[in-house]
Amino acid sequence: MGNLELIVEKHSERIHHGLEVLPNLRHGLPEGLGNKRWTAELILATYEMALTGDLPKNGLEYKTGNSGGGFDVLGWKNNGSAKVESDKIDLSIELNKRDDGKKITIPLPIYGGGMSFGSISLNFMLARARAAKRLNTFMSTGEGGYPDDIVPYRDHVITQVATGMFGVREETIQYAPIVEFKYAQGAKPGLGGHLLADKVTSEVAKMRESSMFTSLYSPFPFHSVYSVEDHKKHVDWIKTVNPRALVSVKVSTPTDVDMVAIGSYHAGANIIHIDGGYGGTGAAPEIAKKNIAMPVEYAIPKVHDYLMSEGVRDEIVLIASGGIRTADDIAKAIALGADGCVVATAEAIAVGCTHCGNCERGRGCQVGITTTDPELSRFIEPEWGETRIVNLFTAWSKRLRSILAGFGLENVRDLRGRRDLLVRYK
Amino acid sequence: MPSKYERFKIETKPAPHVYQIPNKFDVSARKVRLAAMLVHEAFEYKLNKEVVLSRPCIYGVFGGRFGGFKPLKHKCVGCMRCVQEYPHIMTVKHSDSYKRLGDSFWTPEAVFTILNEASTGKIPVKGMGYKGAFGGEGFDGIWTDMSEIVRPTRDGVYGREYISTSVDVGRKPTSVDFSKIDRASSTIEIPVPIIFDKLSAGNGDVRAAVGMAAEKLGTFYVSRERTPFDFGQESLIPIGNEEGIEDLVERPPAIVEYDAEKSDLFEKLASRLPSSIVIARLPLREDSGMIACKLAHEGVHGLHLYADYHGQDYSKEPQHISASLKEVHQQLVKGGLRDQVTLIASGGITLAEHVPKAIICGADLVGIDTTVLVALQAEFRGETRDRANCQLKPRKIDPEWGAQRLVNLFGVWHDQLIEILSAMGIRDVRRLRGDIGRSMMDAELRELSFKGIAWAT
Ligand code: SF4
Ligand code: SF4
Repeated sequence: MGNLELIVEKHSERIHHGLEVLPNLRHGLPEGLGNKRWTAELILATYEMALTGDLPKNGLEYKTGNSGGGFDVLGWKNNGSAKVESDKIDLSIELNKRDDGKKITIPLPIYGGGMSFGSISLNFMLARARAAKRLNTFMSTGEGGYPDDIVPYRDHVITQVATGMFGVREETIQYAPIVEFKYAQGAKPGLGGHLLADKVTSEVAKMRESSMFTSLYSPFPFHSVYSVEDHKKHVDWIKTVNPRALVSVKVSTPTDVDMVAIGSYHAGANIIHIDGGYGGTGAAPEIAKKNIAMPVEYAIPKVHDYLMSEGVRDEIVLIASGGIRTADDIAKAIALGADGCVVATAEAIAVGCTHCGNCERGRGCQVGITTTDPELSRFIEPEWGETRIVNLFTAWSKRLRSILAGFGLENVRDLRGRRDLLVRYK
Repeated sequence: MPSKYERFKIETKPAPHVYQIPNKFDVSARKVRLAAMLVHEAFEYKLNKEVVLSRPCIYGVFGGRFGGFKPLKHKCVGCMRCVQEYPHIMTVKHSDSYKRLGDSFWTPEAVFTILNEASTGKIPVKGMGYKGAFGGEGFDGIWTDMSEIVRPTRDGVYGREYISTSVDVGRKPTSVDFSKIDRASSTIEIPVPIIFDKLSAGNGDVRAAVGMAAEKLGTFYVSRERTPFDFGQESLIPIGNEEGIEDLVERPPAIVEYDAEKSDLFEKLASRLPSSIVIARLPLREDSGMIACKLAHEGVHGLHLYADYHGQDYSKEPQHISASLKEVHQQLVKGGLRDQVTLIASGGITLAEHVPKAIICGADLVGIDTTVLVALQAEFRGETRDRANCQLKPRKIDPEWGAQRLVNLFGVWHDQLIEILSAMGIRDVRRLRGDIGRSMMDAELRELSFKGIAWAT
């Protein structure tokens, strides 16, 4: 084995070992780890769940962060002991509630959000695709194209169509059970995407049909869409190329997010996916993440109530993302009115992300997540990553079941809109 | 021939810190354990030096002569990989000197943001989502709107279509007066909705830097005294008083401010300085709306409303400048007077995002104060709240360097303002003024969205 191999192996083993031992707190809670949204405890609890597939047993906080608002000031009504047996509880949701089109059910109210090839490593992308297959759910390509390596998982891969149209080809639309239009994203609401030149390696350039080491911009907005009618043309285009595909519309959370949702419904979308500003994985200006568009906690009830009042709530699926960190966040989002959630950051944490925010510096992520550096990318072996993501979602489903059991609900669908089960903390 | 069109752009260039800033992170290794680990790895990798000495840090913190025994702490970005790999050896935490930065209002994070903006001229960008508190009080409790589709064709700051950040200072006529149509406009256009407010602390170097920067940027700075420099004189907004009127008449400024409680000063300044824009300067209080209407009726050209340096107004029960500004703006609107006066707001406007938010609350433009001193590496020696006793002590600086830091700061704030306007689909910052409908308030949304959710007992 050459030195480079030995070095990669050494650090890979060390990192993996660290993820195993840090949650046991033998060395204390690392002081520099985490922040108000992803506290050190939440990060370590996620490592633990990704390792064991179970909820932490040593008292690590795994339900909420410390942001002082939103999900972090919501809790559950005291519900006493379990009223339904856990294994009788159904966590599945439908992703097509319209009369026409293919019926798709996922066994958990969760699927993986868009993270593009180029902004993340191929190994991490593969880990996500493999996990989606094992869990019988989905992950989204993001807008960076559709690498050949994920074609074997295509029944579990959502093709994203974004403004840059990178990697959008007839075959990638035909592969897809679900096609996701990204009108906007929470982390950069109303702003274009930007992949720094350093990350545009030969593979990335090939995938995006561009030149190597040249910055890539995806403009904002879709220059072909200025109305709901234009949007309908988009939906029709996809349905023509792939009549079996469900259409998801990913939008940010402006003041009129309810109008956007109803517009998407009328344009024929199966899923309206609202993405709040506090999440997101791609590098984005700090000013955008903190200040533009409302947090998803506030957008969910607004959209849910409006769709109800319009009498169409049961014909469209409402998916929430952008700041969903835990199983409790998912259950709270559903109680506020969503059908299910999309997560991405939690998957990154599962494979060792520390939420440090240095993704765009130098060689990219030091543990191989948001990087195209050939050496660093190898810290995430797809199989290892797959196991950790599957374990995390397995632990989450245990927590979801225990919440539902406490309220005597046999079906996660019955939790939707049950704000009466929540309490607020000051 | 009309001059060649040039898109407004602020030229930034690096102006590195001259005084050492604290390391954000404090990295340390337990030395005995580190030595033991090296011995262990030497055996494990059969003395293969390259492998044994390959380090967990990709930022070079252990790249010095003594490796982990003497880490190069200034290079640490807090990625935590060394802790992940060697949890029994490594400790990384926010350094004590970093945690001590600022005061009860200026957080260490905010101080670092300004220092970095002033030194690099680049927008702060990070990956993996937001890391701070949820909403909050004051400006933190306001989110700006975005538009999914209906908007000018733009790509953030790399845009193709022009977004104007210019604002007008001065009184606008409510109707066209044909007898005066050939006279020059009584308003002045400035390219960014930001001026430098009067500094309560500042040495000659700081004043020179501010004057130079204002001149370069085409904006203004408020000062009680004239600076002895050749540059920046055209950009000065003096604060006029009775005794100084003759001096001002000798060299009339484009804009002059006066303390509003000196009620007869407006008439005097306006009559002796007919070409100047005269702005009343007044503290924000519970009665500011009423006073603003009265002054607007009397004919002042603008109002400079200020809160304390922590953004709290001077009411008996102090409220945040965002709330008091809204009240003044709305009273002026109700009185049919809003378009006749320019509103300048200052006090607690310390970060880029505060500019569009203050404008949404009703200001035409803002004045910045303590931020200037922070950008110029002034030292925090206590609370900065009191305008008369600000504990930010300026250091000796090279005015040219200082001016570039301030130009960088304006450049970065301008770019961030463009981001906000662009997301909203607004092409002109003037259209943002008082447009509460394009904002979202934490307190209101919380009650609407969490309606019916019981309080925990
Ligand atoms: S650089 Fe930091 S925040 Fe980004 S993926 Fe890696 S660990 Fe996570
Ligand atoms: S925290 Fe990261 S940057 Fe800092 S010393 Fe450790 S490995 Fe290097």
